[in-house]
Amino acid sequence: MKSIVLSSVVTALLVFSGCSSKEPAVDSKAQQAPVEEVKTVDTETVSTENSMVDSNTGNSASMTMSEIESKLPTVYFAFDKYDITSEMQAKIDAAAELGKSDEAKSLNVKLEGNCDEWGSDEYNFALGLKRAEAVKKALVADGIDASRISMVSYGESNPVCTEHTRECWAKNRRVDFKILP
Amino acid sequence: MKILFSFLMFISLIFADDATIEVIKKADTIPSIALEDASQSYDNTFRFRFFKALVADLNVLSIFNVQRHYRTATFNDNDISFENKDMDYVLRYKMNEEDNGVLSVEMKLMKKNEDVYSKSYRVGKKDVYMFVTHAMAYDINNFMGEDPVGWMKKKVIFSRIVAPKKSEIVISDYTLTYQHIILKGGFNIFPKWANNEQTAFYYTDLDGNKPRLKYLNIKNGKIKNIIASDGMIVCSDVNNNGTKLLLTMARNGQPDIYSFNVQTQKYKRLTTYSGIDVNGQFLGKDKIAFISSRLGYPNVFSKDLTTNEVEPMVYYGKSNSACSVHGNYIVYKARESSNAFSDNTFNLHLISTKTDFIRRLTATGINEFPRFSNDGDAIIFIKNYKGQSAIGIIRLKYNKNYLFPLKYGKLQSMDW
Repeated sequence: MKSIVLSSVVTALLVFSGCSSKEPAVDSKAQQAPVEEVKTVDTETVSTENSMVDSNTGNSASMTMSEIESKLPTVYFAFDKYDITSEMQAKIDAAAELGKSDEAKSLNVKLEGNCDEWGSDEYNFALGLKRAEAVKKALVADGIDASRISMVSYGESNPVCTEHTRECWAKNRRVDFKILP
Repeated sequence: MKILFSFLMFISLIFADDATIEVIKKADTIPSIALEDASQSYDNTFRFRFFKALVADLNVLSIFNVQRHYRTATFNDNDISFENKDMDYVLRYKMNEEDNGVLSVEMKLMKKNEDVYSKSYRVGKKDVYMFVTHAMAYDINNFMGEDPVGWMKKKVIFSRIVAPKKSEIVISDYTLTYQHIILKGGFNIFPKWANNEQTAFYYTDLDGNKPRLKYLNIKNGKIKNIIASDGMIVCSDVNNNGTKLLLTMARNGQPDIYSFNVQTQKYKRLTTYSGIDVNGQFLGKDKIAFISSRLGYPNVFSKDLTTNEVEPMVYYGKSNSACSVHGNYIVYKARESSNAFSDNTFNLHLISTKTDFIRRLTATGINEFPRFSNDGDAIIFIKNYKGQSAIGIIRLKYNKNYLFPLKYGKLQSMDW
């Protein structure tokens, strides 16, 4: 009997030793272990919008699409989160005001949701999308017509920063605004 | 004590075939095998490349202790080399370059100077030699009476990110030695084989205004539009006969799982939770397994499509964000640490829907995108460790993992 009890205890220990404790979904303090970088191919994406800027330089009174786009913010998010902080809300409010201005009110916007490199699965893409959706809801609440907003998620496939540091990953957890005619 | 012993015997008999039970040590040792190259054609560089590929394949079989010394011999000699006299098996092969660059290979398996199995192979050009070594290993495995390893001859399809918003879709063998870029120049990801014959695949095109699911026929290179969705669209699973798909779509910015009938082109929403539902997998006839954030963190759930009942499948790990299903088995990815700089961040685990056992399949690095082979014998996955991407193969029965590194770029997703 003693051996049965003992083996049950050992089994239980083995089972429970594998369970992880609940960990908060935030970055813990920096532990700068060196991680090598994956080299990306030196390909530059040439935006067609640049050529429009060239053709419209001068004393044009109205803002071009790329000028409007350059005034729009990038909205950043916490690790594994898609809720909007008050600091980011202020940026979105300003973007909504711009969106209602005469120069911009006929234009549409595409919200591009992005994630850091933590995982390449569908869940990461969905997280990027929920970030874009959170920004869309905030814009709609600020009076922007929902029909002017489209969304896409690029998951981790569109980083602005490719170093393996916390600061870099924070820059990648973002929603970008792209102006569409 | 007798009770305990008979209880343990009973348990071991019940779970004798359970893949979630880990084989720690086998009582009997595995046989040794050595290779002897009897080729007349080709230079040493190519001969050595072929030899290394064959050694790798025999190792992955996990049924031999493979001798790594390169030795030569004459094909029709009756005796094996002196150095190999203590080997249980000797695999002797001869490569021959025929007209029009055709590579032909004769092989014979010898046991103590006696030929026990022989076969020949031909392939159109020597560059695809790795498919010959895979076929040789496959046949030797069959000859040894082991469970078939059909997955060895299957092709892997993967997407590789080469720059922000730029990717390639590549078809390769399971060791990544052969690589053919089938689609490049855009932003195309999440390739998924459309049928068992691997003659076509689905993928997500992110270049247009809306993410769009497309279908590419490899035989004629024709691309067909399937369906578009705002936000995201991914083909997560294809049923056995290729007639039904499970898609993740976000038709109103809300990622949910949809079934899609290939013949009628009609879709049906299967999940309605307001958070994240992704990565649907067919689980038997009327059920799906999927990843959902409905408990506040990503985890594996199942949904009975007849009763609409949803239940969690996994009770271990606080962030289980990807899964693959074969029969009663589910392999899933679990986050081990919220410290991204840890050596051990994502690991793969295996569970059975019939028992409560969990088997941890990987130990270090970022291990993700698990995919069962068609026969459930092996699991393929992506490993990112110290800045390099690799494809990993897990032989469940033998408790062995093998890694095949990618030369450049970062693996985004893949299918087998």
